[in-house]
Amino acid sequence: MKHTHSFNHNPLLSKRLPEWRARLVLIALLSGSVVLGARAMYLQGVNKEFLQRKGESRYARTLELSANRGKVVDRNGDTLATSTPVKSIAVIPDMAQLGAGEVAQLGKILDLNLTDINRKLASGKDYVFLSRAVAPDVADRVMALKLPGVQAQDEYRRYYPTGEMAAHLVGFTNVDDRGQEGVELAFNDMLTGKPGSRRVIKDRRGQIVEDVETIRRPQDGGNLQLAIDAKIQYLAYSALKQAVQQHKAKAGSAVVLDARTGEVLALVNNPTYNPNNRVKLSGEQLRNRVMTDSFEPGSTMKPFVAAMALESNRFRADTMIDTLGGKMTIDGATISDSHSHGMLSVAQVIQKSSNIGSARMALAFPAQHMWELYDDLGFGKPLKLGFPGEVGGRLRPWKSWRPIEQATMAYGHGVSVTLMQLAHGYMAFARDGELIPLSLTRVDAPPLHGQRVFSPEVARQVRAMMESVTQPGGTAPLAAVPGYRAAGKTGTAYKLENGRYTKKYLASFVGLVPASEPRLIVAVAIDEPSVGGHYGGDVAAPVFSQISAGALRTLGVRPDAPITPQQVAQQQLGKSREAM
Amino acid sequence: MRSMSLRAGFGLFGERGLGENRLGGVVRPAGELDPLLFWSSALLLLFGLVMVYSSSIAFAEGSRLSGHQAHFFLLRHTIFLVMGLVAGAIAFQVPVRSLQKLAPWLAGLGLLGLILVLIPHIGREVNGARRWIPMGFANIQPSELMKLAVALYAADYTARKLPDMKSFKRAFLPMFGMIVMVGALLLREPDFGAFVVISCIAFGILFLGGLNARIFALLLVLALISFVLLIWLSPYRRERLFGFSDPWKDALGSGYQLSHALIAFGRGEWLGVGLGGSVEKLFYLPEAHTDFLLAVIAEELGFAGVLVVITLFAILVQRAFAIARRAHQLEHHFAGLVAQGIGLWIGVQSFINMGVNMGVLPTKGLTLPLMSFGGSGILANCLALAILLRIDWENRQPPRASGLGSFDMAAAHRVASPSREGMAP
Repeated sequence: MKHTHSFNHNPLLSKRLPEWRARLVLIALLSGSVVLGARAMYLQGVNKEFLQRKGESRYARTLELSANRGKVVDRNGDTLATSTPVKSIAVIPDMAQLGAGEVAQLGKILDLNLTDINRKLASGKDYVFLSRAVAPDVADRVMALKLPGVQAQDEYRRYYPTGEMAAHLVGFTNVDDRGQEGVELAFNDMLTGKPGSRRVIKDRRGQIVEDVETIRRPQDGGNLQLAIDAKIQYLAYSALKQAVQQHKAKAGSAVVLDARTGEVLALVNNPTYNPNNRVKLSGEQLRNRVMTDSFEPGSTMKPFVAAMALESNRFRADTMIDTLGGKMTIDGATISDSHSHGMLSVAQVIQKSSNIGSARMALAFPAQHMWELYDDLGFGKPLKLGFPGEVGGRLRPWKSWRPIEQATMAYGHGVSVTLMQLAHGYMAFARDGELIPLSLTRVDAPPLHGQRVFSPEVARQVRAMMESVTQPGGTAPLAAVPGYRAAGKTGTAYKLENGRYTKKYLASFVGLVPASEPRLIVAVAIDEPSVGGHYGGDVAAPVFSQISAGALRTLGVRPDAPITPQQVAQQQLGKSREAM
Repeated sequence: MRSMSLRAGFGLFGERGLGENRLGGVVRPAGELDPLLFWSSALLLLFGLVMVYSSSIAFAEGSRLSGHQAHFFLLRHTIFLVMGLVAGAIAFQVPVRSLQKLAPWLAGLGLLGLILVLIPHIGREVNGARRWIPMGFANIQPSELMKLAVALYAADYTARKLPDMKSFKRAFLPMFGMIVMVGALLLREPDFGAFVVISCIAFGILFLGGLNARIFALLLVLALISFVLLIWLSPYRRERLFGFSDPWKDALGSGYQLSHALIAFGRGEWLGVGLGGSVEKLFYLPEAHTDFLLAVIAEELGFAGVLVVITLFAILVQRAFAIARRAHQLEHHFAGLVAQGIGLWIGVQSFINMGVNMGVLPTKGLTLPLMSFGGSGILANCLALAILLRIDWENRQPPRASGLGSFDMAAAHRVASPSREGMAP
């Protein structure tokens, strides 16, 4: 203290304390303020656009406003596929500090395991989904808890009310709402809406803090009205399912066409899948056999050959053909009938399904002639329905046909078709010789004229022959439909495996109802029936009958035959047989 | 006396207050406070409180550490302010001479704090820096309190050695040794920013105390070399330096913080987006309520808000130097040097902080004095301002009383009374 005093009282010393230094330091500090002021002015007045742009790139985001995907409905407007608004419950673990009671409440509402929730909360992530695609009312109950950091996010979920019944036709979408199968894929562009967008400012945790502008409103996708009738589809689905189970078959498929419009009224396959729950899907379940599988149709091809023969005027319905006792050798190869017949008329060849009779008719014509007929009927090339994975079957060029091949092709071997192609070909008989294009979507103005394949007389004659098939003495009395006249043809084809015929069968039946003025074409194929027979007349015909009876009733088609006691008895017999 | 006061303190308020008090016969300190110093400090403290709340509200609400309470930082900052004001009011009662006696002890305490903070289990490490001593309700940051202690100690040291200021051995070396020791402790934390500020205070006071210019030039060269070495030898500081020179080069890495501070300035434009409207504070800008408070001010209140802050600090620094000049004229060299040291402290630290916010200086862990959130900082700032006001108050006392301060608080209010002279130690 003493020395301080002595310094302070020394005038010389105090003079020596350089005042200029204090001024210098003060000026330096104050010029620092000026520099800062100038810098702030530069940043906030001059460079602001650049900085704001940089800022936008950090926290301005363009959000997609999801457009609602269009509905898929059946011909009567019943929903087959629809997008329902759902919510996803997400949580920001850092913000959520949930007590055990709150976690328990969440778990109860979302039906989640408490340890799962706690694991997600402790995951250390910025944002985790607790539960995706929950119903809006469930989400509302979660949000009512007002838990910090728990959010509900809007999403759409595709829902298929008809489930597995129309799965192959409708198909499904993936998580990004893009069509993956069926019409969802085929008509994806039409169903997909145009997403809108809006500009928002988000905080670093992804919460929207400000809505800047709506750039584009979302445009919902268009609705798609299919040709199918959900009721007929259901009939076909359940009849087929029952048959596949009853015969312990590997698979089965059926298709129903409207002969007047070319519309596909039903399309079913078995096995199938539930499009709402696609956790375990096998390729077998996914295959839309009606359109993507080709097979050797067997005897269902015979009516075409008969029509070709009649068309030439060299054959008449009563022209007799010697079936050679059921065996015939061509080029060293022997073909045979399952039952030996003697002389058969053309009509009987169809009714009894004689291979030899058909082959002899076919061999009366040049290969080219027969190829042209098959080609006109649409075999060997895809139908171009726009359906994904559609195949065209196999029809080899006529120049390479050997007589034995032409002979077998007359009864549906050495040629392959899809069930849809086969049904389409039968349209020529249903429409008095004309073919019109098929349509998966509803047709309001059917074409007046189609492509002529047979003359009306020939078509009617063959139809009459096919009607005898469903009558006593034919190969498929079980195909008879009470109250209606039914025409059709059975097929029992050996399956080709690795180029060799096996002891496995594909039983089929393609028919027209009512035979007097056909409205429906129904084609049924059962793959590898192992129990309760393997003939088309035993396995596929009853399915045809069931589907046709229901479909005609549904459509309100006037019966063209009295219901006879025999028919009822037959139906009952058929049913009891099925039950066995 | 009257003319002096006018010259030194533009004493509008003070001058009239002094007169009134004399007429009234009671000397009230409030009437004899430098009005510009008082109001600029008060405004900065209040403005700081508002902005700490605004900048921390989203962070506090969103963080588990603050229990999701929006007013978490507001509440604490208010408590710190009250504590600071109470501590300041007490410090104001302490005569400058007593303060000078206390100075070495305070420096010793500060050193002790700097040593304690480095000891595991006593010091708390946050983000790789060991700067805090947990004390239950709040953490103490010894480096903040050390700034004040250094200002007092360096002023005491220089005032004692005024005749020897030309001597390298006697004037320079001991102080240099002290700073090297403090510096070593601070860099161990590490707290480079505090080291820079403390060096500025200590050597600034030596310089203002008349240290040989040649020694000072040498010191400057030495400091420059050591700073450059420090920066080049430590990748962590080098990265910070590069981030500062071009924040957009690695805008999401080393330049992240600065780029967001600059964006905040750009968004604020002239008048700001409005109080509470900052987007940067929504988790983008780290340390929005501490080191980068000015960026939030810039965004919400624009250039106008920034200019107010810069101006208030400039006024505060100018007043500190004006008070110092007056003290030196009264030959109260210790008081003058303390005032200059405080002016340097507030000036240098606010300049560095604002410079960092604007990308003029490399990023450092330095808060904005009087404004940023932080108990130790606010406490040290309030104490410093109280001491500054006390020096000013003593400057205004009649010559007989000046320099005869007393521990007796009653005496401080009635220094004019000659009967108290005898009680001087």
